[in-house]
Amino acid sequence: MKAILTDVTRCIGCEECVEACRRVNGLGEERPYRWIRTEDRLSADRFTTIVRKDGYFIRKQCRHCLEPACASACPVGALHKTPEGPVVYDSEKCLGCRYCMMACAFGIPRYSWYSPVPYVRKCTMCYETRIRKGLQPACTEACPVQATIFGERDELLKEAHKRIAENPNKYMPKVFGETEVGGTLVLYLAPISLDVLSLGLPVGDDPLPLRTLPAMMAVPPAFIGMGVLMGGLYWVIERRNRLRSEQSDAKDDKISDTDSDQKEGKE
Amino acid sequence: MMATTGQTSETPVRRARLTRLCRFKAALWFIIGAAAVLAVLRFLHGLGATTALTDLTPWGFWIGFDVMGGVALAAGGFVVAATVYVFHLERYHAIVRPAVLTAFLGYLAVIGGLVFDVGLPWNLWHMIIYWNPHSPLFEVGWCVMLYTLVLSLEFAPVVLESAKHPTLARVYNLLKKATIPLVILGIMLSTLHQSSLGSLMLIMPHRLHPLWYTPILPLLFFISAIGLGLMMVTTEALFSAYLYEHEPEMELLKGLGKAASVVLWIYFVIKMVDLSVRDQIGALFQPSFESVLFWIECLLSALIPAMLLSIRRVREHPIGLGIAVGTGVIGFVMNRIDVGGLATVAVTGTRYVPSWMEVVISCGVVAAAALAFFFVAEHFHLFHAGPVRADEFRHALPEWDPGTMVVRPDPYTWGPARYSAMAVLGAAVALALVPDYALSGGALRDQPVTAPGFGDRIVLDGNRTGLAVVFKHTDHVSRTHNCALCHHMVRPEEQATGCSHCHRDMELETNIFDHSLHAKRVEQGPGCSACHDPGFPPGDASHTKPCLQCHTKMVPSGATIKPKSAPWIGRAPGYKEAMHGLCIPCHKQKASAEKPALWRCATCHPASGTPAFDPLRPDERGNMEH
Repeated sequence: MKAILTDVTRCIGCEECVEACRRVNGLGEERPYRWIRTEDRLSADRFTTIVRKDGYFIRKQCRHCLEPACASACPVGALHKTPEGPVVYDSEKCLGCRYCMMACAFGIPRYSWYSPVPYVRKCTMCYETRIRKGLQPACTEACPVQATIFGERDELLKEAHKRIAENPNKYMPKVFGETEVGGTLVLYLAPISLDVLSLGLPVGDDPLPLRTLPAMMAVPPAFIGMGVLMGGLYWVIERRNRLRSEQSDAKDDKISDTDSDQKEGKE
Repeated sequence: MMATTGQTSETPVRRARLTRLCRFKAALWFIIGAAAVLAVLRFLHGLGATTALTDLTPWGFWIGFDVMGGVALAAGGFVVAATVYVFHLERYHAIVRPAVLTAFLGYLAVIGGLVFDVGLPWNLWHMIIYWNPHSPLFEVGWCVMLYTLVLSLEFAPVVLESAKHPTLARVYNLLKKATIPLVILGIMLSTLHQSSLGSLMLIMPHRLHPLWYTPILPLLFFISAIGLGLMMVTTEALFSAYLYEHEPEMELLKGLGKAASVVLWIYFVIKMVDLSVRDQIGALFQPSFESVLFWIECLLSALIPAMLLSIRRVREHPIGLGIAVGTGVIGFVMNRIDVGGLATVAVTGTRYVPSWMEVVISCGVVAAAALAFFFVAEHFHLFHAGPVRADEFRHALPEWDPGTMVVRPDPYTWGPARYSAMAVLGAAVALALVPDYALSGGALRDQPVTAPGFGDRIVLDGNRTGLAVVFKHTDHVSRTHNCALCHHMVRPEEQATGCSHCHRDMELETNIFDHSLHAKRVEQGPGCSACHDPGFPPGDASHTKPCLQCHTKMVPSGATIKPKSAPWIGRAPGYKEAMHGLCIPCHKQKASAEKPALWRCATCHPASGTPAFDPLRPDERGNMEH
């Protein structure tokens, strides 16, 4: 699968990638804060940004997870993972529930809040415009110092581990994105921890879709089980009542059965 | 059963007592009117203009209250149906119809709330044709659609039973026969989506605080839905008894209360066991926003009502029962709001307080459901005692009298209720006149506008530090060509964007500091380490020598960048003020008898047909060359 490797130590923060992204994706002028409402400046009009931490420049963009939570969460499958790797969005299907935005562990999808016909917006790795034509994404092409490069994920991982081995003092001994939430296509080499890229509490290496899977697997058995249980209870109680009324008819008994019923109903 | 109808309504006592209901209805109509006006804003200007939602808190009050809370509140329908039809507790039959109606209207309200919350509500039906079975929301959506349909069929006999037409009568008989299968299908669907609303949050361990995040969240949601359903049916029965002046059926309601107490105890025990299994008991006693929230929620939703309902004397008294179930209802709605958003906000380091418009629209949806309930209660055989004194409530809906321009819900009611529709109209006009910057949080303060031609230099406290510099305005205009970069459309007093927003990186050309000049000066001498600590990246400001260490007399007198204390300096005016200040004085001056249009808003702000005025490119406005 196609992937991107960003070496934080090489980035000079020139934001050429941001400009290239804006050009290729035809993004509009950035809106004033009122409409962006985030600190990292990612927005419906900006798919990639440079986050500053400890004097380093960290390029933030969609991580294109191997097991994307957004695609798993979308009720209509408006987000899906392409065979080439990028996670893309189909605005024709979207109904605007914003569950994808809640599900993303990196807080990447953004919404065009200012529009009466709003859509979810995020980096698509230039899937339609470039990857399908065999080109690399605009951001990696624009980078003047090759701080962010494009390639096959396996090869980039190999390259990343090679760089760590050559300069063990320069980097943290791990490739960010290799294992987080099941692995992402956008990989980072950094001298500092990149927790700044994730949102909220740490989530570990398990893919997020696995968290809802057990509950979803339980749906069909729960549905049928509840039906059988309720149907069975109805039948049993109905039959018992009928037998009892026949009995009482026969014996002309005056025993009322409401008390015993009441106790059972509370379960 | 229907003993007190007809003639009794003519007595003065009855008339006076009608006001309770009419006042309540008038308030509901008022809320609906306000919500309707805001709905226009919501759909014209989008979610950004009406809600406080952000990219990092994309779910808010509408999801937590309208959807999560609404579905849970409507659980009474399936709980009572199960009690009566499956468990054969026939004596509860009297409350089946109100419970099913509450559930049906509740689901309609949920869908109504979704129409506001969802960005593209006209695409909601897409769930029918585009499937993603991995998504809990997909399952919830389907169940809600199907269950609303089932509820409408369960409730249809109430409407159809008085129908005379043979076809309708046949449909009525058919639905009556299908009651048991429909009830069981309703229970099956409710089980799924009541619990799946909890599954929704399982995919966001990074957002939901550990006190709430548990793999058994679906189970907790299901159990609490049963408890809440019982309590909501009780609340609704007590409240409609209060409004319609009949005695609450305490014999039944105390039974529901007892059942609810059992469910609540089970819920509470499971919740505590779950917390201890997940090793989160400690988090309960850490002083944090979430632990306080959790305590309040737990007390209100489970502990207090469970204890109150366990006491026989409380259960048997209408007021005691009302307090107990009311507390529980509030507590569980709070639980749904917490899980649906409130307990995720602080975890992600963002901030969200619902805007007043969100709250009003939510209340409007609830008010509409309540009025629909009253309508059914007054026209159909909803309560066991029959249609609620139909004669008395004939005048309950507003009547417009064109002669006096007065709306009269009832000729005998108290003053304010009589003018309810007028009040709605007035509120609508008042709201429509509210300027949009006030709608988007914080009205602008009055700022004196500097007329055009004020010269090149103004004194400005750009970073809100209490220090001002002489600022070259025309220079910045010619460099940026973008007024909105500094003069924000609706956020004139924001803290983030000051001079330092652009002038932050010393090596950038935009900075007043000339990096290349300094580099040239120190080239022969100490090199980069003159200023930059070699062990750290050059961008690290804390390891870079401050200017004042070399430049002890940093700024020569008369220099434009000399900071001075200037507490009297105001902030930059907002974009609109700045622009209007530039344009309007001249236009006003030059407008004459021949050119009166020059001094009219519509001359520059055309209604339609012409290209819209682009705030980000104010100088490229082709339509404004007058």
